Amino acid sequence: MTAPVTTRVRLDGIGKTFVDARSGTPQQVLADFSLTVEPGELVAVVGASGTGKTTLLHLVAGLVQPDAGTLDRGDPRLGIVFQQPRLLDWLSVRENVALARESAGIDPAGADAALAAVGLTEYAGSYPTVLSGGQRQRVAVARAFAVEPDLVLLDEPFSALDELTARKLRLLLQDLWMERSRTGLLVTHNPLEAALLADRVIVLAGRPARIAAEYHVDRERPRSAEDPYLFDLHSRIVSAL
Amino acid sequence: MTATEVRPTRVSAALATTPKPRRGPRFLPALLFLVLLAGAWQLMAVLLDSVLVPGVPAIVTELVDIVSDGAFLDQLGITVLRVALGFALAFVVAVAVGIAMGRNEFARRFFEPAVLLGLTIPGLVWALLCVIWFGIDLVNPVAAVALSSAPALMLQIYQGTRSVDPDLLEMAHVYRFSRTTRLRKLWLPALAPSLFAGARLGLSLGWKVIVLVEVFGMSSGVGYQLNNAFAAQNVAAVLAWTLLFALVMAILEYGILQGLERRTSRWRKAVSV
Repeated sequence: MTAPVTTRVRLDGIGKTFVDARSGTPQQVLADFSLTVEPGELVAVVGASGTGKTTLLHLVAGLVQPDAGTLDRGDPRLGIVFQQPRLLDWLSVRENVALARESAGIDPAGADAALAAVGLTEYAGSYPTVLSGGQRQRVAVARAFAVEPDLVLLDEPFSALDELTARKLRLLLQDLWMERSRTGLLVTHNPLEAALLADRVIVLAGRPARIAAEYHVDRERPRSAEDPYLFDLHSRIVSAL
Repeated sequence: MTATEVRPTRVSAALATTPKPRRGPRFLPALLFLVLLAGAWQLMAVLLDSVLVPGVPAIVTELVDIVSDGAFLDQLGITVLRVALGFALAFVVAVAVGIAMGRNEFARRFFEPAVLLGLTIPGLVWALLCVIWFGIDLVNPVAAVALSSAPALMLQIYQGTRSVDPDLLEMAHVYRFSRTTRLRKLWLPALAPSLFAGARLGLSLGWKVIVLVEVFGMSSGVGYQLNNAFAAQNVAAVLAWTLLFALVMAILEYGILQGLERRTSRWRKAVSV
């Protein structure tokens, strides 16, 4: 029996400003921004390009620090899928996953099971350079879930893939999500992806970003991408963008 | 059901029948160069007819004498050990400093003058200074080799560090790679091309300076033997020792460096066509 998930992410009054390297002009991306992701909840953040979605995720990942406000997420084990797979090309697929497990203090031998879950068993010994874009992103997904994360961060994970591959990976991600309870934050510009995967969808707009709309997804998992409810929700999200 | 015959196009037929380029032994071009060099040298020796330009047979005789002498391997081994220790010291320091320079602006500004100064100081100066400072102690050649090869290595590693994908560093941060893991699994493989380029440059500088150190301040090693041959006006022996020294360099390049380079870049081959 797995332990109940306790990881909560709380952003309170967060401010973040970047300085344009060329012009020196300050760009305020977030100002007095607040959001809470409850334990076991997967929240999707949707918004147009440049609304601060990735900044928000990088703040939660600890890759950038806020200029103002408080960010409380404890010290969870993180699993992350970036827009690009970010694999170490000189290690085999298995070694990439095993290294993440080892660094998380977990037996690296479980890497094969993680790869089997994403259907890449036959490529475990291959270098990532021989894989297609979709397969490489599968490895990134396998790595994120192989570390048995308390908090999963997904930064437009399928935006660089063709739609057919992206659809398959969304369903794969849903299967992995259902295996164990964990907390998650998904950043995407795809409203249907958000509706399919998330428990709650936040729509960001403006600069600095504010929450323009919020939707709870009242559908049990597993969900179907053909569900009319999700299409309706998708339309409402689009209208709020 | 009828089978459709696929007639080969002119291009595909040409591709199918084009013979693969014939490949000779790998070392044939290098061997050809050496044979031509030896021939040209022999021609020059015959035309000049001077004791200062010995012919190829005289050099070969000297080579055989040196190699058949039991002390040859000892002398060569001493020199190789000194270079290896000095280069290892330079390598460790250069990796730490080069990565620090690439990652930290203060470190870059702090070490940059030292690297630029080190690059401009001739090996002869390091050799003389180390002889003066350390005498005939092992520290002398090791320090001279390290001081002369470290700046070039540092520069290569610094430039390599600047080209490492920052996205991978973010990934390593999120997955909490330890410092050792980052060094072994991320930095060193990513820096491999720079490390090999730096190693070639650093070793070539190290070889040059070790000969000077052994000429000026040591009583053993290849440089010492070269000095003896020079004192005896034995040009054939000078050339023979120089050739043996070059042979060691070739063994190091073809036998070790290129092998290691192939091993660390296997993943690149996986995508080459």
